[in-house]
Amino acid sequence: MNAIHLKKGFSPRIAGAPARQLRQLDAPRHVGMVPEHIPFIKPRLLVEEGDSVAIGSPLFEDKRNIRIRFLSPGGGQVARIVFGPRRIIRQIVIALDNDERCEFFDVPTVEQLDTIPRTALVEMLLNGGMWPFLRALPFMDLADPDTVPPAIIVRLGDDEPFGPDPVVYLKGREDLFGIGIDLLNKLCDRVVVNLTGDEAILPALPDQTVTHRFTGHYPSGNPSVQLYRTKTGPEQNRSWFIDGQDVILLGEFIRTGRYPVQRIMSVGGSLAPAAEHVSTRAGVPLRQLCGGGLAGRPARRYVVGGVFTGFTGSADSFVGFYQNALNLIDDGDWEEPFGFIRPGYNKPSYSTAFLSTFHRKPFPMDCGQHGEARACVNCGTCATVCPVDILPQFTMKCLVADEVEEALAHGLLDCAECGLCTYACPSKIELREVFRSAKAQYYKEIA
Amino acid sequence: MMKALKRLFNTTRPYFESGGKLERLRPLFDAVETVAFAPALTTTADTHVRDSLDLKRFMTFVIISLMPPFFYGIYNTGYQAGLASGLDLGFVPVMMRGAWVVLPMLMVSYTVGLFWEILFASVRGHNISEGFLVTGLLFPMTLPPTTPLWQVAVGISFGAVIGKEIFGGTGRNILNPALTGRAFLFFAYPANMSGDRVWTVVQQTGKQAVDAVTAATPLALAPLAASGEAVTRILTDAGYTFQRLFLGNIPGSVGETSALMILIGAIFLVVTGVGNYRIILGGILGVLAVAYPGYLLNLTSGGEVARMFSVHPTWHLVMGSFAFGIVYMATDPVSAPGMNLSRWIYGFSIGALTVMIRVFNPAYPEGVMLSILFMNLFAPLIDHFVIKARLRKRVPNV
Repeated sequence: MNAIHLKKGFSPRIAGAPARQLRQLDAPRHVGMVPEHIPFIKPRLLVEEGDSVAIGSPLFEDKRNIRIRFLSPGGGQVARIVFGPRRIIRQIVIALDNDERCEFFDVPTVEQLDTIPRTALVEMLLNGGMWPFLRALPFMDLADPDTVPPAIIVRLGDDEPFGPDPVVYLKGREDLFGIGIDLLNKLCDRVVVNLTGDEAILPALPDQTVTHRFTGHYPSGNPSVQLYRTKTGPEQNRSWFIDGQDVILLGEFIRTGRYPVQRIMSVGGSLAPAAEHVSTRAGVPLRQLCGGGLAGRPARRYVVGGVFTGFTGSADSFVGFYQNALNLIDDGDWEEPFGFIRPGYNKPSYSTAFLSTFHRKPFPMDCGQHGEARACVNCGTCATVCPVDILPQFTMKCLVADEVEEALAHGLLDCAECGLCTYACPSKIELREVFRSAKAQYYKEIA
Repeated sequence: MMKALKRLFNTTRPYFESGGKLERLRPLFDAVETVAFAPALTTTADTHVRDSLDLKRFMTFVIISLMPPFFYGIYNTGYQAGLASGLDLGFVPVMMRGAWVVLPMLMVSYTVGLFWEILFASVRGHNISEGFLVTGLLFPMTLPPTTPLWQVAVGISFGAVIGKEIFGGTGRNILNPALTGRAFLFFAYPANMSGDRVWTVVQQTGKQAVDAVTAATPLALAPLAASGEAVTRILTDAGYTFQRLFLGNIPGSVGETSALMILIGAIFLVVTGVGNYRIILGGILGVLAVAYPGYLLNLTSGGEVARMFSVHPTWHLVMGSFAFGIVYMATDPVSAPGMNLSRWIYGFSIGALTVMIRVFNPAYPEGVMLSILFMNLFAPLIDHFVIKARLRKRVPNV
């Protein structure tokens, strides 16, 4: 096991880190899927409102490759399908029955895994709805079932504030994790398990599983950053990655032959009623996830995923396919008298321009922009914080001037989309959005 | 109090909104309002949290760091004027006298600078950038206290328009705007910007009425040394000891004289991360790297290499406006390079060029202004090569 320490990057001290206790959430009456937050896919619905579905029934497929299907996280009736502008699918809501039916898939036993050919395994994962958990760098699109990746990165522990802790979600399920790793080893010769966070879980895992241990600042748990720090040649750029909890799901799928719906999620942020881990199921409504009680503060923002990359939800929406975290933070929608000159005892900052530098307690964070947008003054803060050594201020100017080739030479595709440059920019430039959309545009052009 | 202020903004806002009588002055209204109240903007994209630092605070910190040399400049201007005119040298009268000279310059600089800023902001439809507050303060501090106010106005206009706005405004200029204005005055009105008579204000109300006071600055005095004579001794004889140069109680441009006050400002800039220490240290290294070999060469060859080299190298750091230039002008992030290695090279080159101009070019006793402007032009080129070298180390990803 190699230890890698990330010196660049930044871990803001935010109040509301989820505790390690695990609470069983009451069973929801509805579950839902939010296809619009799965990047790049072109979903085609396979159900209509009123259809009856079982756990594991296909809900929609990806038009780009119809073998990739997304399965229902609950059994019951399709209660509602919400469309947005240009008929983008916002939500698919399923009202759960009391006795949920469940689809069974034809899976090999754990012992048979060794003998089964790779193509059959891929087919099995596609049918079982497990394939979309595998994603391909650098664009973070779904993995292509017809290619063999140079490596599969297992991201064990996401250090973005705040995601679920592997110590919590691995507990008692180490064997399933082991089966999942075995399965990945059948898909690719090189499976890299990168642990971020507490090394106390190492003894519980099967021997020699973990290849790297990442320490240091956020985003040491980001697979793009992990690839950037470990790659030895350009052939590894197209590695795949999968989250640690999803590897457990792979193991559960093989063990049970059913589409796994149980998830362990974290609820955090300074406005969370109780910052902790909860055991619940995929597609849980956010209202239920955060404890239901929303009275009091209307200016609360539901961030599904981490605070640097997650999407904004509402009480009436659902957890995303890839997100296992909900963060509740203040919207920050207020004016501050003489904000620019306050000493800032309680203002978190990457810079040393606030007195908050002198104490290390966590601060409540809000979604305020803390200043107006300005032209880039080339201060270089973004370059000091970027974990993959891009020079965001120069790369951004390349992209604004339409010099895509130059931006690529700068390492645009190594961009982990971690959001730190946007966070730190004193001119409040949306650097992450510039890079994310440029990457997406480039991806569409080369496709 | 804050509520009354808020009410004032709320009642006056309609005049500045589109359709209002003062619609064109909306950037001014916004600028004033956002100073009083940080606006209630929230994030819209997927990066939900933002750092507390913004450009307003960033630029305000530059202004705070300028306060020690600024107030010392007021004091020193008043003190030198009082000394030359034979007036009371008590603290209060000296400050009053200095303020009487410096504050009008500052007000002209800000008013004219703000005029151009509002004009371009309202034509282009964007907000007023805080950068002009720094430029407008820096500019009068680089001028001799005898500068006529109309020249202050002409200089800041040139700096703001030609130095900044024609390139597209803050963030896009290649030269430091304050220095551009200073250089313009230097070449357009040399009689008011150099020589022995411009550094001290003389007030005719004194008992001994004189037309002007001839007080050569150390840099003007030094090349006058006869062959073989130690320049340091000439300076010391004229009263310019190292200690006095460091403290700054000498005639000179308003803000440049006190290395001590500038050092205090520099520490503030570096500690808060607003000014880049690499440029400052690089500049000091650059001065020493050129001055030391010259000094030693001069010692061994009997002082015949170049007379200015016989000044002890550390004197170069406190003489003239090197300290002011390297701390406040060279660290302007827009016109400085953006890579850390480039910043060392840039600072070093400024220091080295400053000494070379001082030593080898008798036409310009002071070289820091020209060397910073010269390196401003080279900043993109340095960055280009440093980035190129750095990209070579990346594992390609296309």
